[in-house]
Amino acid sequence: MIIPVRCFTCGKVIGSAYEEFVKRVDMGEPPKDVLDALHLDRYCCRRMILTHADLIDEVAPY
Amino acid sequence: MKIDILEMTPTKAELVISDTNPMFVNALRRTIVSDVPKMAIDNVEFHLGPIMDEGGTAYESISPLFDEILAHRLSLVPVPTDLDSFIYRSKCSCNGEGCPSCTVMYSLNKKGPCTVYSGDLEPIGSEKFRVKDDLIPIVKLADDQALLIYATAELGTGRQHSRWQAALGAGYRYYGKIEIDHSKCDVGLSCVNVCPRGVLAKEDKKIVVRHPENCTLCNACTEVCDTGVIKVSGDPSKIIFRFETDGSLTAKEVLIKGLKILEERFETLREQIGKLEE
Ligand code: SF4
Ligand SMILES: [Zn+2]
Ligand SMILES: [Zn+2]
Repeated sequence: MIIPVRCFTCGKVIGSAYEEFVKRVDMGEPPKDVLDALHLDRYCCRRMILTHADLIDEVAPY
Repeated sequence: MKIDILEMTPTKAELVISDTNPMFVNALRRTIVSDVPKMAIDNVEFHLGPIMDEGGTAYESISPLFDEILAHRLSLVPVPTDLDSFIYRSKCSCNGEGCPSCTVMYSLNKKGPCTVYSGDLEPIGSEKFRVKDDLIPIVKLADDQALLIYATAELGTGRQHSRWQAALGAGYRYYGKIEIDHSKCDVGLSCVNVCPRGVLAKEDKKIVVRHPENCTLCNACTEVCDTGVIKVSGDPSKIIFRFETDGSLTAKEVLIKGLKILEERFETLREQIGKLEE
């Protein structure tokens, strides 16, 4: 849907990292380096970003 | 008890606590997670019905998400907190009605098409309560949608709800005690290469423990060693403790407040035990 504000497991704020992650990966940076640069150290926070399906644009018209 | 700081940034702290035991450190961990108060948005009022802009265009006050989900998302946004100038609403002289010493108000007014970010929350009153992390997406609005929201933030603790949890990822582990029998060591370097944390290193034809604070007690080095000269054990009296904050409070404030709460609690316990003896 839309990126959750916080990591489900540890509670770290991850929402603000998503748009930068998508932008930088689209420009060809390896996802690992981007996640490290965004200080997402734990694998719980990394999966929040990596596995997110951004569907809000598809539901917005309804 | 002695506390050494390995790392202290506004949002992250790593400490070595020595001459202690796991009970003390766990008490501190539980206190900073569930009893250190912080501000969070607790009440959200949505404007209902059409919203007009200056040009007279009408917007519908809806969004792709349910209002409840929006309110929940807003509550998780870290709100800057000044622990000295706020008190719990229930203990405030305003009898829980909300006043400047227990409440911060925010307004949010956006018209589509756009993405609503946490930075669009306008604090009513002092600018110092503006949300620092201003790029958290809250919701996306379509062409004819608009939002007009009034939100109030108040003080609470992680015990009530996770939106008031000041510290996150709080945990501790034993300080590694690595013993190497140099007389039998063949300096094969297998342990240096297998250690995932770069703890061991070769120096002057000897294996030395360079960064004991990084050891996670994984025992990979003991398993790979053919001669069996490495022994790794945890030291329960020396503990590495670390936590992060969400940015509403600094790590230092969280730690000091947590220690203060613990102190008060032990003082109450001591008084009550003193009464029992009489
Ligand atoms: S126990 Fe693990 S982390 Fe510690 S020194 Fe051995 S290999 Fe490295
Ligand atoms: Zn996490
Ligand atoms: Zn009040």
